[in-house]
Amino acid sequence: MLLVFVILSMLLYLIYNLIPFNRANAIAEQYKAAYKNNPEGLEKLKLEKEIELGLKKYDENGEPQKVGIFMRYLGWLGLAPVNGQYNGILQGNFGISYQYNERPVLEVLAEPMQNTMFLNIFSVILALAVTIPLGIFCAVHRGSKRDSAIQVFTIVGYSIPFFIIAILFIWLFASTLGWFPVSGMKTPGSDYTGMQKFLDQLYYMALPLIVMTFGSLGGMTRYVRASMTEALTMDCVRTARAKGVKEKVVVYSHAWRNALIPVITLVIGWFISIFAGSIMLENIFGLNGMGKILIQSLTANDLDMVLCLELFYASIGLLGNLIVDIAYGIADPRIRVNK
Amino acid sequence: MKTKVLALLLVLLMLVPCVLAACGDKEGTNSTSSGATANESTGDSSDASSGATTDTSTETVTKDYDMPEQDESVLDEDWNKVIIGSTTDLSGDFRFPGYGGSSAVASDIDINNLTVGYSTMEVDRYGAYQWNETAVASHTEEEDSDGNFVITVKINEGLKFSDGTEVKAVNYLAYVLAYSSPVVKANKHPAMAGNAFVGFNDFNNYSGEGSPAEVKDEDGNVVAHPCKEFKGIRLLGDYEFSITIAAPTYYPYYYADTYGAISPYPLDLIVGEGVEVKDDGNGAYLTDAWYAKADGSTDDALLWAKADLLKEARYDVSKYAFSGPYVISNWDSSTKEITLKVNKYYAGNWEGQKPPIGTIVYTKVVQETQMDAIKNGQVDIISGLTGGDVVNAAIDLAKTDGFSECHYDRAGYGKIQFDCDFSPAMFTEVRQAVSYLINKEEFASTFTGGYGAVVYGPYAVVMPQYKDVEQDLQIEPYDYSIANAKKVLEDGGWVYNSKGEAYAEGGTGVDSVRYKKLEGDEASEANIAFASVSNDDGITYKTVKVGDDYYMPLVLNWFGTDNNNVTDMLSAILVSGDGPKQIGMVVRSTTGDFDALTGQVYRDPDYGYADPPKYSMYNLATGWNSAIYDYAFNWRLDPAWFDNSVNKLYDEYDVAFPYDEHTGLTYEEAMEQSDGKLGMDYLSMAMVYSVEPGDTENYNKWWKAYIERWNYLEPDIPLYGNVYYDLYNSKIEHLQTSAYFGPASAVLYCTVKKPA
Repeated sequence: MLLVFVILSMLLYLIYNLIPFNRANAIAEQYKAAYKNNPEGLEKLKLEKEIELGLKKYDENGEPQKVGIFMRYLGWLGLAPVNGQYNGILQGNFGISYQYNERPVLEVLAEPMQNTMFLNIFSVILALAVTIPLGIFCAVHRGSKRDSAIQVFTIVGYSIPFFIIAILFIWLFASTLGWFPVSGMKTPGSDYTGMQKFLDQLYYMALPLIVMTFGSLGGMTRYVRASMTEALTMDCVRTARAKGVKEKVVVYSHAWRNALIPVITLVIGWFISIFAGSIMLENIFGLNGMGKILIQSLTANDLDMVLCLELFYASIGLLGNLIVDIAYGIADPRIRVNK
Repeated sequence: MKTKVLALLLVLLMLVPCVLAACGDKEGTNSTSSGATANESTGDSSDASSGATTDTSTETVTKDYDMPEQDESVLDEDWNKVIIGSTTDLSGDFRFPGYGGSSAVASDIDINNLTVGYSTMEVDRYGAYQWNETAVASHTEEEDSDGNFVITVKINEGLKFSDGTEVKAVNYLAYVLAYSSPVVKANKHPAMAGNAFVGFNDFNNYSGEGSPAEVKDEDGNVVAHPCKEFKGIRLLGDYEFSITIAAPTYYPYYYADTYGAISPYPLDLIVGEGVEVKDDGNGAYLTDAWYAKADGSTDDALLWAKADLLKEARYDVSKYAFSGPYVISNWDSSTKEITLKVNKYYAGNWEGQKPPIGTIVYTKVVQETQMDAIKNGQVDIISGLTGGDVVNAAIDLAKTDGFSECHYDRAGYGKIQFDCDFSPAMFTEVRQAVSYLINKEEFASTFTGGYGAVVYGPYAVVMPQYKDVEQDLQIEPYDYSIANAKKVLEDGGWVYNSKGEAYAEGGTGVDSVRYKKLEGDEASEANIAFASVSNDDGITYKTVKVGDDYYMPLVLNWFGTDNNNVTDMLSAILVSGDGPKQIGMVVRSTTGDFDALTGQVYRDPDYGYADPPKYSMYNLATGWNSAIYDYAFNWRLDPAWFDNSVNKLYDEYDVAFPYDEHTGLTYEEAMEQSDGKLGMDYLSMAMVYSVEPGDTENYNKWWKAYIERWNYLEPDIPLYGNVYYDLYNSKIEHLQTSAYFGPASAVLYCTVKKPA
């Protein structure tokens, strides 16, 4: 896992540094007006910034020289000194976000992460609470009218992209019916505290939450249904029924346990995704979340921020795989690793 | 049957978005007619506004806006609140937006304007700097014996910060001193706050006791004598100070008095505890505690004890006092929303206006749904609406009860920009020919949905300079004309084919375009290497050598930004349109992101540029946030400036009559001596450096000549200027915005109707 992480970090760093962009130039350009009658001064400032950012360093003759990409990568990791100091990821420095007023990346991410998690946790719990029983119900009543109706509903939800659902729901529930606010995260100008604040936040999050849940229903319900349908045809289920075991026990103890393996992958994937923002949704609803930060950082070439986020997602992904493997073992003793 | 029902249901559901979209289109169609009407009424906003006459202490001025009085008894009422919606996120950089650079977020600037007051000069609604009579008791402007420009300011006694402490002269000087010293570099500030003042270099290089006696550059020349005192800044008393603007670099300069625009800040915000602003007669200075070093500081790498204060101060929202009309009551960085409460100690802005509205909430809205947000009452004001559909919707809403709108011309325009140092774009006639190919009225109308206007030079119609000389301005509109385009090309020598023979219309392959014989310096390396790019039709046009002569094809390599309507519209006219073919020209289009475009404009290898230059035409936009119009150093021929200039224009008039050799002439003298041939560099430099502050009459002469010369040379082609609409809840009264005066400024003059 560590090796994969190191390789990923190197690849990410190299790829993002291929983008034709020079942060030192961008910073110096901001002060162009002050140097309008002193172009040499602006060039000097540019060089100063390049040195400060570790893009260049002075050689033994005092001449500025470009620092190679690999050394910059090591400097970013904290394995090589930048301006005489080891100050990289290993030392807890994930860089500076230039788009967000030159504040440390981790400081900038704290609040969007909270918002994203707040939204996603509710969404995931709500979606799972609906889809798993619904999927099981459909599998058990496969071919019934209710199953067919749910199939229509889920396939529509599965087929329509998130942002279309969002636009439709805004139009219907916010613009036309006025049940929910069109965007935002709290009542403008409110200074609620405690439960009142929480409820206000929930009210503003309701529509995005409904959209997210609605958008997730189709896929998960169908997935659970398919998995359950297969499990219900297994020999052990047939045997259990033949032995006269109660149907409830057959479904939830025998079939559901067997149907869990494919579902676990998805469910854990969902829980992992509570850290990931939705670019579309956050922009449509004006939410200050991780997806919005990522897209804004990419647009603004805020590379430290982008790299930090990508690395975070890579780590979460790797961790997710590990958890999935462990969960398989818990759900199905046959998959446990032999000692 | 079941399958059919399913399929039908699916189709119906899929059709819903299409039907919705179609409804949207319907509205768009309607916009054409109502748009035209609205466009005609663009100039009516001032007529419609109610006039008011207000006496100032010096003269009677007729104002075309209202100045409602503050009613202290209703400031704390819940209803006396306005929620401003902004599509730009607040970033929290309210104390010093941009922190010395130009990258400030517009919404942060709004908050800064609402929380910082008593500046010696303030920008009025027309973009002009005005001396602030509320803060300044008197001021004098004079030249000293060295030719420097000295502004002495006496501030009024009794002005107070939001915590009730008095505003004194030291509060004005602390920021300029601190943010000119190397200490602030600890927080990545450029330390250039006072760079126009006498003694800046010496002060800027002073790092506390033990500073070297002199600082030398790489060539060994002494560039500074580090000094604790800032000679150009004087603390003359509790309520009096002066600044001295350095000649000749920063004075004479038409806008020199704007260097005197200084805002007061609480001392603890700027310099923290233990530091004083003093003056022993040689200039103001900060006491030694300011320069205290932190642990681990070395001579090579100075670490400052004040570094933490600087970080804290930049993002402070509550610890330190405010001087403006409002104070920050709550900043929610999570939702990007700020609440401001009126500063009851605030004595008024430059014309004495105090805010009648008790609470301002500034919150984020989503561009696509902001109209619904105002309709639903989530916000009270949305601003900067543009584009046919959006503006039509805003006007429709404003026609209903409960909503109103105001609109104004944008101080800026979208344009085609040329690199004028190589390729066919280096020739004036080619740029003029391109201009003739574009029906700019139609372009502007289409792009802005009928809510836009065209300008014919580097100005905005709202500029006071333009208004002053509008009647006398002699400019060519370059109205759409194939015949004129051909004529200017033929007059310019574009009369050959690729074999050096006479050009004949209807040619094919590389001979479908005109060629020009390159004379003398025109046969530069870049021009000899010039070739068309993005040759999707398989034809590569390039400079050809016939005998000893080089012939350059009439091809423009254009770089545009992708996902941009202007790029698409220009492409329809210049790439796939018939106009260029008719005049023997080809435009090749390449698109990329904005960074790639700027990389080509500034020829920066870090952004993907590689020699020789390929592109000489771009589509961009430009704008002004005040009426200051200063293009000095933009047209210098010296490579130090020229290589970094935007247009890289080589004006032959500047070679014949260079500014550096003919400085200090009046407009009439310069015109006479140059035989009426003043170049872009001369005009732009003289416009600001040959005119005394306040001498608008002479400034306007230069400005007019500059605009006319620019209009002839066409280094850019202005395409459209938008009309912006601000929509607001009718409970707000007296709201009048302008290009320089957005809702966050205009609310100072507004009241809220008390609910029945």
